[in-house]
Amino acid sequence: MCAAEPRSPLSVVAVPAHPMIAELPSAIVDIAARRGRAGDLAAAIRAEFGLDLPPPGRFAASGDTTAVWIRPETWLVMAPRGAEGALARRLVETAAGAASVVDQSHGKTRVRLAGAAAPRVLAKGCRLDLHPAQFGPGQAAVTPMAQVGAVLLQRDATPAYELVVGSSYAVPFLEWLTDSAAEFAGTH
Amino acid sequence: MHRIDCPWCGPRDEAEFAYRGDATVRRPAHDAGIDAFYDYVYTRANPRGWHTEWWHHAGGCRQFVKVVRHTMTHEIAGTGKAGDSLPVPAE
Ligand SMILES: [Zn+2]
Repeated sequence: MCAAEPRSPLSVVAVPAHPMIAELPSAIVDIAARRGRAGDLAAAIRAEFGLDLPPPGRFAASGDTTAVWIRPETWLVMAPRGAEGALARRLVETAAGAASVVDQSHGKTRVRLAGAAAPRVLAKGCRLDLHPAQFGPGQAAVTPMAQVGAVLLQRDATPAYELVVGSSYAVPFLEWLTDSAAEFAGTH
Repeated sequence: MHRIDCPWCGPRDEAEFAYRGDATVRRPAHDAGIDAFYDYVYTRANPRGWHTEWWHHAGGCRQFVKVVRHTMTHEIAGTGKAGDSLPVPAE
């Protein structure tokens, strides 16, 4: 059996390039601890990936693998796109029944936004206060961004953010993000 | 606008939530009869004062948040998880 390679929804339209914005082609997998098994899941993930599943409002990273808290006892695990389904299979084997594992690689699109002006780019569509005193590296949130449900995380103090949105919304979301960033194209 | 303190996500704008009504109604026994089920589904006290209610954090963690809100002033006295029992101010 050979599943089709996912094709980025951003590959079929011409969203203008912007120096602050880049798609991060990723494997994205949803893991939800089964009832009473969150501790087993955390121990298994720690042993296999070397990262501690983060508490609400945080993400954790080890090497090129990132885990983001999205709901109670549920995380999104992301890594650069590899072989189709490989990350999900590795998580199924690691969780060994302690979690439900759903491959979201086709359903979600991951984008990076980086530059000094990035908080002002997001502010036009985000209800959270992204001032460094309120939101900083290591923090994450699930929140609507420009009317699109998004997972937001801050990777570093550049500031560099990553956004994960449903692939069906990726094109209009990128059009909004690019438009919002246009005024900062020469200043990032 | 409200800012609702989600027990998982922290304070968030009201627009991230969907109002889901009275959090104190309890499903009757299966053989309680049609009148009891009518009340369960449709009849609400609609008080002027403190009200314990559900706000679904649809735009965030997707959990049901319990909120004690004053229906006239919109003051929020407390929020909690679905299983929490929240104190209701006297008035
Ligand atoms: Zn929440």
